[in-house]
Amino acid sequence: MTQPLLSLRNVEKHFGTVRAVDGFSLDIQENEFFALLGASGSGKTTLLRMLAGFETLTGGEILLDGKDISQVPPNRRPVNLMFQSYALFPHMSIAQNIAYGLEMEKCSKSEIKRRVGEMLEIIQLSHLAGRKPDQLSGGQRQRVALGRALIKRPRLLLLDEPLGALDKKLRGDMQLELKRLQHEIGITFIIVTHDQEEALVMADRVAILKDGKLLQCATPRDIYEHPNSRYSADFIGVMNFLPATLRQGQVIAANGQPVAAQLPEGLSEGNDVVVAIRPERLQVAAYRGGGGPRGRVLATAYHGLDLQLHLQTNLSSEPITVRLTAQEAEQTALSEGDEVELGWNAKDTRVFAA
Amino acid sequence: MASLANPRLMLVILAAVFAFLYVPISVLVALSFNEGGLPTAWTGFSTKWYGELLRNGDIMSAAFNTLVVALVSTALATLFGSLLAVGVEIRRRKGRFLETIIFAPMIIPDIVLAIALLSFFSLLNVTMGLHTVILSHVVFNLAFVCSVVRARLKTFDWSIVEASTDLGASMPVTLFRIVLPVMLPAIIAGALLAFTLSVDEFIIAFFTAGAGRDSITLPMQIFAMIRFGVTPEINALATIVMAVSVVALTLSQRLNRGGLPGQ
Repeated sequence: MTQPLLSLRNVEKHFGTVRAVDGFSLDIQENEFFALLGASGSGKTTLLRMLAGFETLTGGEILLDGKDISQVPPNRRPVNLMFQSYALFPHMSIAQNIAYGLEMEKCSKSEIKRRVGEMLEIIQLSHLAGRKPDQLSGGQRQRVALGRALIKRPRLLLLDEPLGALDKKLRGDMQLELKRLQHEIGITFIIVTHDQEEALVMADRVAILKDGKLLQCATPRDIYEHPNSRYSADFIGVMNFLPATLRQGQVIAANGQPVAAQLPEGLSEGNDVVVAIRPERLQVAAYRGGGGPRGRVLATAYHGLDLQLHLQTNLSSEPITVRLTAQEAEQTALSEGDEVELGWNAKDTRVFAA
Repeated sequence: MASLANPRLMLVILAAVFAFLYVPISVLVALSFNEGGLPTAWTGFSTKWYGELLRNGDIMSAAFNTLVVALVSTALATLFGSLLAVGVEIRRRKGRFLETIIFAPMIIPDIVLAIALLSFFSLLNVTMGLHTVILSHVVFNLAFVCSVVRARLKTFDWSIVEASTDLGASMPVTLFRIVLPVMLPAIIAGALLAFTLSVDEFIIAFFTAGAGRDSITLPMQIFAMIRFGVTPEINALATIVMAVSVVALTLSQRLNRGGLPGQ
């Protein structure tokens, strides 16, 4: 295996008694689009600022191309940060903003001119090169911030909630745009976000952070299909959680019935657990008098390609969500108030300690 | 209350208030152009009193002194006041005490400041003259510049400083290429305000200028002349001082749209 572009080894950051980043280790490969996903206060922004050089490390090391950069000041790191607020220089034109980083590198006038021109092409703002930042829309400002950071050809581009300030429609467009740019120029991107959808759509790999610790790091698909903790399972997508207990090698639901579930390792007899199952993995049918899990349809929600059912079941006090494809929905023809029976395969479940 | 809502009556009240504020100043300006020089009769338009002014050696040397005091104290106050503002803003989490003691010279009555400075210079056995006037003006101008610059700094986006560093700039480069240009309107506004305050400051200059004729400033000169009655020359001089102040203040306020704190 080749050397990773970036290695975080036991990185620690304490603010007083608070461990903002707590023993964080991670490898990121060249050309990856990597997402740090977490709720606010999870330490993701602190981590990003440490990579940029704006926060010192309390412990551990950060290796870039195998060399420890944790003592290198931010203006000497081959790493650039795109700020959440974009932080454009208000007194400079778009072209001047973009040229700034190259001027700091003491590039020749002609080279700066050529590369700024190219970058303006890439971010599709050539026609606005002379405008000031306050004359641009949010999406345009975001592209300037991106261009200004990219023109330095950093080894690593850090993006702090890059789409947070945009409205929903624009956000969708920019997600694809960012991904396209990253492929085109071949720079490693690390994006910080609290938006799980953003992480899933854009990233090759996602790291889920909680309380400064790395909970899970995997491809979006792996995290979705095989979450390693209740928190990851809950953070990404919709998940049903059924309270249960382990007894005699079986998972017993709250109503005393054994339910189909993959038995986890490391949990022992008598433990309280939750059985996690995705809405699309549940099968429902009109009630025909069986003794298995059953429930009643509380509400239906139409989402175009699929239909969501909310069920009150005999398995838990919380309603359960079921997702049916349009075709399945047609076959079962369920509506509000209908009694249903419920089934699933053991292999589609995950069991976590409660 | 119906009569108060009467728009015509409101206009009359407004006119009366403005008349009270501006008629005396208008009379002064008008009299400075009165050929005869007497406040009792208008004998025709003339700029001869302005010519007289230029030929009056005492006034010209006082004007020169005032210019020196205003320019030097403004330069010092602008430099240190701006730096102070940046420092206070960066450290603002340490509480508001620092702010209060910085801005105190703006609020303390001039006469108190004047006596305090006089006592201070006497205590140190400093020979008084123009230099002590300059130092004294720096004391209050520093507070005014600091307050104007700080008002602008409150809306300053500090992430652009980090962005500049991130793009490879050293701290001095960031200061000159990013912080200074963005802050420049506020700094100039503060400097213009300081200049204006210094030009027509009387009490503190009077107390700290010492005894010699060499350190008399323009307001002190006017005060000395006025003991023998208001001459047309004084009217002309006052008109010029006012014009300078108005221009500087207008510029200052235009540059600093947020308004002037402490004013």
